[in-house]
Amino acid sequence: MSLIIDGTNGVTFNDSSLQPAAASPYVLKNKLINGAMVIDQRNAGASVATTTAGTGTYTLDRWQYYASQTSKFTVQQNAGSVTPPTGFNNYLGCTSSSAYSVLSTELFLIRQAIEGFNASDLAWGTANAKTVTLSFQVYSSLTGTFGGAIYNYLGTRSYPFSYTISSANTWTQISITIAGDTSASWTSGGSSSNTNSGWGYISFNLGCGSAVSGTTGVWNSGTAFGPTGATSVVGTNGATWYITGVQLEIGTTATPFERRLYNQELANCQRYYEKSFAIGTAPATNLGAGTGDVILSANTTVGNSYVSTVSFKVTKRTTATVTLYNRQNASNDWSWYNSAGTASNGGAVGSSSDNGFYCQYTSVTTATVVAGHWTASAEL
Amino acid sequence: MYKLTNLGFGQTEITSVIRLSDGACIPFDLANTDYQAYLKWIEEGNTPLPAEE
Repeated sequence: MSLIIDGTNGVTFNDSSLQPAAASPYVLKNKLINGAMVIDQRNAGASVATTTAGTGTYTLDRWQYYASQTSKFTVQQNAGSVTPPTGFNNYLGCTSSSAYSVLSTELFLIRQAIEGFNASDLAWGTANAKTVTLSFQVYSSLTGTFGGAIYNYLGTRSYPFSYTISSANTWTQISITIAGDTSASWTSGGSSSNTNSGWGYISFNLGCGSAVSGTTGVWNSGTAFGPTGATSVVGTNGATWYITGVQLEIGTTATPFERRLYNQELANCQRYYEKSFAIGTAPATNLGAGTGDVILSANTTVGNSYVSTVSFKVTKRTTATVTLYNRQNASNDWSWYNSAGTASNGGAVGSSSDNGFYCQYTSVTTATVVAGHWTASAEL
Repeated sequence: MYKLTNLGFGQTEITSVIRLSDGACIPFDLANTDYQAYLKWIEEGNTPLPAEE
């Protein structure tokens, strides 16, 4: 391995990537989570489609599919089962479900929200804003100029970028350098961006109307979700668009993708979403007993009221939204068992925090243990 | 559509709401995006169902 150490530019590796050491550490440099598309807690590899127009749907962990219309795409880990690029085992795959002409204000995109704590060192919104480089590998059945954007959480500043895919059905490495934004609009949680509030989004555009597009390569006021005139993947029935190895780092060149241990990346994801289900099982009710469901002690409080407490593996970004799943029927509650093993189904979340929650059942005569599954979400 | 929850153990005021589409319990925390969506729904003139008796 050849290496050039330069007192002015930093360290240049034999793949020509530059590492300005102090500004961009070789590890813990990627501002994005699950950029290798490894973790898929919600769907366990199953396909996802948006069922409500104008909403975002989480697909692989941390990656959200936003669509102005329903049923225009399916999104799935390793969709189409193509060979991932060298060094990767997974990718996020989008497949167009129809040939749709995007209206002027409509959007179809894949995006990740970045938490303030993870991006405040970029100093965007100040005179010291740092330049960043976005890199990724992309594969499509289409060729042409595609696009995306980086924009603040408040929706007041955006930088559309474009990239070219010259060869269809071929993994293409893309690198885009973005000068930091000095506009003071990169806080959504008060005067500082160093909070658990949203900082901004990286998004990839699968179809973007003219009214929500903007000039590429410059900072725009307002939200432009992509460059004007970019290829519309949603416009071709059956078109595919796959992505992996997504990295956002400080500096002017893309360095090799930051490899994280599986358990580390899972924990990063669990700050935003965690489940009691096995990692390969998508959350659902009525899965039956012995499916990894939690079995907890039921503790009496007063009268016929019982509570049981769950601690999260990872502290959440904020107070979590908690959903209960009954293991023996289709209800969002738990099964409370008396000493004879007879179940009474019911209960609800009494309270949650960023560290856990308790479930409470107020109308059971006696209970010794309680069983069920849960998910906890604190997404941006 | 949402429904207010019953008081939790030791609580004197309601601290969460149930999203009926999926049964999720949403805490009254301004940093929680599900709660932000609930507040927007309220601003649009909607009213949650009362808690169960």
